[in-house]
Amino acid sequence: MPSLRLDGLCRSFGATQAINGLDLEVGDGEYMCLLGPTGAGKTTTLRLVAGLILPDRGSVIVDGVDVTKRQPEERRATMMSQTYALFPHMTVASNIVFGPFIQGWSEKDRVNILHSLLDMVHLTNRKEAYPAELSGGMAQRTALARALGSGADTLLLDEPLRALDARLRIALRMELRSLARSLGKTVIHVTHDQEEAMVMADRIAVIRDGRIIQVGTPKEIFEEPATPFVANFLGQSNFFIGKMDGVEGELQTVIDDAGHRILCRRSDDMDGDVVVAVKVGNTNITVSGTGFLDGKVERILYEGPNLHVDIGMGDLGRMSAKLPNRKMGELSIGDEVSISWDPAKATSFRLPEGGLEKELRVE
Amino acid sequence: MHSRIMQAVGGSLIGGKRSIVEAISSRSFRKAWIGIIIIFFLAFVILPTVFVLTYAITDWSAIQDEVLSDPEVVNTIKNAITNSFIIATIVTVIDLIVGLPIAWMMVRKEFRGKRYLDTLMDMPLAFPTAALGFSIAIFWAMPVGIAQPPGSLGIITSPMLLVILLHVVFSYPYMVRSLSAILEQIDLNYEMAGRTLGASQLTAARTITLPLFRAGLVTGFILCFARSLSETGGTMMALAIMGAQDFFTGPTLIGTWKNAIRDDPSLAETLVPALSFVSILLIILALILLVLVKYVLMRVKLPFRSVWPRFEKSLSRGMVPRMKDGSAIIFFVIFVLIPSFFVFSYVFTGETGTVDWGGFTGALGYSFIVAIVVTVIDLALGIPLALYVARNGNGKVGQALDVLVNVPLIVPTAALGFSLGLFWANSPVEEYGMLLVILAHVAFTYPLVVRNVAGAVEEVDSAFEETARTLGARPIQTFRRVLFPMIKTAVLAGSIMAFTRSLGETGATIAVNPNANTVPIYIVNLIKAGSDHYYEAALACVALIIISYMAMLAIRYITRRNGEVV
Repeated sequence: MPSLRLDGLCRSFGATQAINGLDLEVGDGEYMCLLGPTGAGKTTTLRLVAGLILPDRGSVIVDGVDVTKRQPEERRATMMSQTYALFPHMTVASNIVFGPFIQGWSEKDRVNILHSLLDMVHLTNRKEAYPAELSGGMAQRTALARALGSGADTLLLDEPLRALDARLRIALRMELRSLARSLGKTVIHVTHDQEEAMVMADRIAVIRDGRIIQVGTPKEIFEEPATPFVANFLGQSNFFIGKMDGVEGELQTVIDDAGHRILCRRSDDMDGDVVVAVKVGNTNITVSGTGFLDGKVERILYEGPNLHVDIGMGDLGRMSAKLPNRKMGELSIGDEVSISWDPAKATSFRLPEGGLEKELRVE
Repeated sequence: MHSRIMQAVGGSLIGGKRSIVEAISSRSFRKAWIGIIIIFFLAFVILPTVFVLTYAITDWSAIQDEVLSDPEVVNTIKNAITNSFIIATIVTVIDLIVGLPIAWMMVRKEFRGKRYLDTLMDMPLAFPTAALGFSIAIFWAMPVGIAQPPGSLGIITSPMLLVILLHVVFSYPYMVRSLSAILEQIDLNYEMAGRTLGASQLTAARTITLPLFRAGLVTGFILCFARSLSETGGTMMALAIMGAQDFFTGPTLIGTWKNAIRDDPSLAETLVPALSFVSILLIILALILLVLVKYVLMRVKLPFRSVWPRFEKSLSRGMVPRMKDGSAIIFFVIFVLIPSFFVFSYVFTGETGTVDWGGFTGALGYSFIVAIVVTVIDLALGIPLALYVARNGNGKVGQALDVLVNVPLIVPTAALGFSLGLFWANSPVEEYGMLLVILAHVAFTYPLVVRNVAGAVEEVDSAFEETARTLGARPIQTFRRVLFPMIKTAVLAGSIMAFTRSLGETGATIAVNPNANTVPIYIVNLIKAGSDHYYEAALACVALIIISYMAMLAIRYITRRNGEVV
């Protein structure tokens, strides 16, 4: 089973630098989610790994062997595209055994693997159907079975759940993951849905502007984001810009020009201007005057299990908090409130060079 | 269960034919292969097509001495070219005016008999133009030398008018097809949105849908104009039947002069420079036109902005739309359908005569051999080019090929044939008359296959091929198992189109080899030989029409059957 290493990959299309010095290591049998906004270079990365396009620079290394120049069919890496690309003129069964058929397996081996795969994705009674007759979920499972049956060790999944209804998408997350896991496949799963990445991945690689900016387990990425962008992309964050002040044990004080003072987690290697990020979900609302910062409730959105509350903070702009919905009725628009958080859940970053707004921009 | 899969995965991957597949799958072999295809395209299609242009440089003095210094020749050429362009312009405008309502009706309306109308609409595409020329001339004009056949109107005395009537018949399906192809792609929701915003049906169609199908207009315009500019056989037939000896279009002038050289080789010295000059003019003017239409028509501002709500509302209701559809159908029946089929009535009711069946079957055999070989070459060498153009359309080479492939479509075939003859002159190829005819027919049918196939490939999401590759398929396997089944219909349509065009072609054949014994040339020669042979020519026309029509029905049958399966 392969481990995969991408080493300094670069690829441009005309004037656009789609991939710009991308490094990434994926372990043997690991389920890696490549997470990033639209246009970050996710699909291009997959296509480079699959060999469908060649990099301008850098290399793709599988189990220590450089495969950069190899043709797609020689890489033992199967791509499953967003649209599934089920061959419309073949039945479900023919689609699934396409790989074994084309590689010249014996009839007996083909029949065996077909039955196992049909069984695995619960499509045995639909094996004679054509792709046009399948529902979205069945089409997705057929494509998955075809990818699993090709004999490839690496699965490259390009937004594999995107074309499905919201409910089915969530139901198929676990099915997809456990199939890949039980067959020991190494997976790169591209998505722009942070929730999907969080629940499915062994590790997440956050990609932006053709470069990986952080790799880690979902917990690491969520709780210890490497940049303000990551902090905001995985669960919205509130930001506070100020200067380092004093340290108290594991805590640190940050103060801004207007004299607002807050606490965050201690970080010793920083001084000067910093940004403090705290997840909206970790932000609490208390009675006016008791928290770090004061403001006025501007908007309350009922989101089902949660209330999303936007609070005008005067010259600090707007901050938000999520409360359980049982708090409904305890707050109303115009209330003077205070916000606070557990300082251990607030992370500080050096103020990015182009300013915070540029750092957070998604496109 | 999983261990079983693992076992199977580890199974043998080595089969018998592998080694050949391996060899032709390497990147270097594929590069070399596409290089060969491009060289073929340039050396056997493009270069011969425009080769005559070099004649203007190498033999300008001959043109000077034999053509430009002789006012009579200059005048003949000038008139012929002017006639060609006037006819093509008028024909295209008529096509547009009557094609638009029919295309609209075929796409947006449901009515009884629509399928039959649809088949009838394509009929002139399948009819060889020489046969159409015969049929239309004896319907509209007074044939010279024979009694007026029953049912013939005999009212047209102007050669230009007769040629226009003929050209409208065979060019107008191209306009309808181009317009309806685009119309089908335009989402009806745009127009619906316009109407819910308060526009009347006519206003919505005119301000929303029409501007969207500019591309269809351009295609239709180019196709009709080029077809009219290029047509030789039918025009020669029609003019000969009405006895218009002094009226020429560019292509009929080339045909006539080539025939003159065949009958009296000593004329070559004076006529070859003249022929070159006509061909050069036709080619250059056609190419200029292609560029103009492509770049001007796509940019020009059409008066779609102003609206007259009340007036247009009144036109959208009641009698007016129905009259528009009705008159389009009446036009179709009177000007297209009846004249096209008149030859059948002539065969059954006209005076009979002797028929030389041996001559006819000989010509038929010749035509079939040429058409089959041409189609096979087109397919073998056209599909790879189409794949390349469709998948590399953004690259510089891809774009250049994409433009070049249109050149033989727009160049009048008589000029193409003459140019190709010059290109191969003094080479061993010249010894083999049929080979010359085949090369000429390949030159103008090759783009048909490439266009059709490239269009279909562009429609296929490249994810299918890419997925197949990552599943382990070699490029050739990917083509055979995945792409080809998806574009089969277009390949078939393209090849039957190439086949029928080759079968019906007159201009290129005469210009490259006037001795070639194809059916259209056989028919033209019968007509030229005098009115005694009209019955025989008519029978040959009917036979040719039936054969071509069978071919067209075959396309329809196969494409429809495919449509049901997928």
